[in-house]
Amino acid sequence: MRRRQETRTAYLLLAPSLFGIGAFLVLPILVVAVLATQRWDLIGPRTFVGFDNVVAVAADGRFVRSLLITAGFVAIVIPAQTVLGLVAALLLNRGLRGSAAFRVLYVLPWICAPLALGVMWSWVLAPTDGALNALIGRRVEWLADPVLAMPSVAAVTVWTQVGYVALFFSAGLRAIPDTVHEAAMLDGASPWQRFWRITLPLLRPTTFFVLVTQIIATFQVFDSVYALTPDGGPQGVTDVVAGRIYYEAFEQRAVGQAAVMALVLFVLLVAVTVVQQRWFARRTTYDLST
Amino acid sequence: MRMRPLVAAAVAALALAACSPAGPDEAPAGDGATTVTVRVWDEQVATAYEQSFDEFTRENPDIRVQVNVVPWKDYFVRLPLDVAGGTVDDVYWINSSNFGALADGGKLIDVGRELADQQGSWAPAAVEQYSRGGTLWGVPALTDGRIAVYYNKAMVEAAGVDPENLTWHPADPAADTFLPAARKLTRDSAGRTADQPGFDPGAITQYGFNAARDLQAIYYNFVGSNGGSIQAPDGTLTLTDPKTAEAFAYLVKLVNTDHVAPSAADTNDNPDFSRDQFLQGKMALFQSGTYNLKNVGDGATFEWGVAPLLAGPQGRVSVVNSVIAAGNADSPRRDAILKVLRWLGSEDGASYVGEEGAALPAVTAAQQAYYDYWEGQGVDTTAFGDAGGTATIPAPFGPKFEAASTAFNPILNEVFAGRTPVAEGMQQAQDAGNAALR
Repeated sequence: MRRRQETRTAYLLLAPSLFGIGAFLVLPILVVAVLATQRWDLIGPRTFVGFDNVVAVAADGRFVRSLLITAGFVAIVIPAQTVLGLVAALLLNRGLRGSAAFRVLYVLPWICAPLALGVMWSWVLAPTDGALNALIGRRVEWLADPVLAMPSVAAVTVWTQVGYVALFFSAGLRAIPDTVHEAAMLDGASPWQRFWRITLPLLRPTTFFVLVTQIIATFQVFDSVYALTPDGGPQGVTDVVAGRIYYEAFEQRAVGQAAVMALVLFVLLVAVTVVQQRWFARRTTYDLST
Repeated sequence: MRMRPLVAAAVAALALAACSPAGPDEAPAGDGATTVTVRVWDEQVATAYEQSFDEFTRENPDIRVQVNVVPWKDYFVRLPLDVAGGTVDDVYWINSSNFGALADGGKLIDVGRELADQQGSWAPAAVEQYSRGGTLWGVPALTDGRIAVYYNKAMVEAAGVDPENLTWHPADPAADTFLPAARKLTRDSAGRTADQPGFDPGAITQYGFNAARDLQAIYYNFVGSNGGSIQAPDGTLTLTDPKTAEAFAYLVKLVNTDHVAPSAADTNDNPDFSRDQFLQGKMALFQSGTYNLKNVGDGATFEWGVAPLLAGPQGRVSVVNSVIAAGNADSPRRDAILKVLRWLGSEDGASYVGEEGAALPAVTAAQQAYYDYWEGQGVDTTAFGDAGGTATIPAPFGPKFEAASTAFNPILNEVFAGRTPVAEGMQQAQDAGNAALR
């Protein structure tokens, strides 16, 4: 009896969140699933076309290519920002003077609108009159050269995210009790050994969180890439999947095909998350007493 | 006002639609007045519209008009979304690439029927451009006149170039007076011109001309002046037409071989790069339309003038584009909308647009005020009219041109960058565009 009451109270307390998840997550997914079976140009009437959109997307080599480009983008950005974020966190946690100010500085790019930063960087990287070229004294077409565009966009993305990653690692480092390090030092462990054997394993929950959220965010990256290299960049080298979906939905006005692409991306991200979850579940140490 | 296909640029999305207040409060409006909203993309014209609508409200106290500005770069991405979501304004501007789909979708008020008595007072080219299925789908609001060439007086004088009489020719160098002039007008940081030995194309400080992937100001006119075409009468793309490809090849050569124009790396994703260079005194000849006249008038700190469009083998063939103010057929305020449209289509209503030189009204009787304003500023604008020629190439048309242009633009970017050979690029662009038209 009492248990039932508790359950009811629990659901009552959860109701606002459940409503939010339903209205802003589940419902849109269902709407996209319905749109995927229709032909619609936003202006005219919607017509049911069954699996035509799926066939059209499967036959569109550009979508597959954009998935590969996005995977490559993730493969560059994630390791770079994770390592740099961890290094920054380690430095910040040494308690040097001015750490607090640096912490704020690091996080600033992350709290700014990616689009605004993208526009700003596109000025910095502009071939003529760009600040960077003025600094190095030669003309480099950072965003217009098919070879340089992707690394340039990736570098800007890493720059915006490092502070966010460092913030979490910094918190994770503070959660590690000093006693563990002291014990290791007494046993004669070198700083290097302490980092590899103690710090890193105890940071696993943080690493898991950072990797999952960042991989998902990077797979969905759109605004900064769009601001730096509209239209998929030179020869389409920065044609990331979110940009492809945007192009299909709002520039081609082929909403059905864009919906199919969005669903594919959704399924992929769920799969990636499940894999990560499994991988970390077996290796995560939460309990310091074991 | 430009019909250049929507450029995906971020600034657009940064700026949420700036909503102008509904005119000064002194405009009397009775209680229970209907508010009609009007969406435009041009700040200059929005200001003129607000003055115009103040007068309108004095004559129609039961209707207030609110002008909303959505930036050009974002305009045609947002418009279909707002139409689909039922949140679009009561009256909104449309360009030629986008109006067909809205007309065919039954989203627009049939102005041809509702305001038939006014139709004779509007620029015939605009009426023709926006007639579809035997009727007209909006009130012609603005017209661009012809494309012309803005020139920096000091630069053309120093180079001994007469901007009024320049002819380009892709096949006969002897007939080409434009290229030698453009080379004389292009300088590097050492002061050498592009026709001198030792000229350094990597350090250009003064460009001769603004060849770029710019639909309205550049490539439509070059194609037309070479006797080529962009669309067949049925709307399909004809980019592989030999005369069309030849015109593109000439433009690409201006950029990458002759080095008289900014590189595609500068212009492909930044449609205003050339205008800014011209305004900063780093470009001698800047081919563009009346839509940049106010910008040049306000922004140029040097002596400048307006010459006719460059002549090609077929003479001066310009694209002439107009913009309509369309009525939202889904709005419950139909009667008020029609009153507003009738006002915009009248000489009185449109006169405000021309009087401050903001744009050339498409109401014929209101156009003189525009020319008078610029004459008062000491600018000869006759090159935008018949003095600049009379031949035209059709503006983009059809319900899916916008989709086609967003499909072929990335390919044209590669052509202008010199990475895709012109013939190959034209074929690819045509295939991609035609696929999007289906």
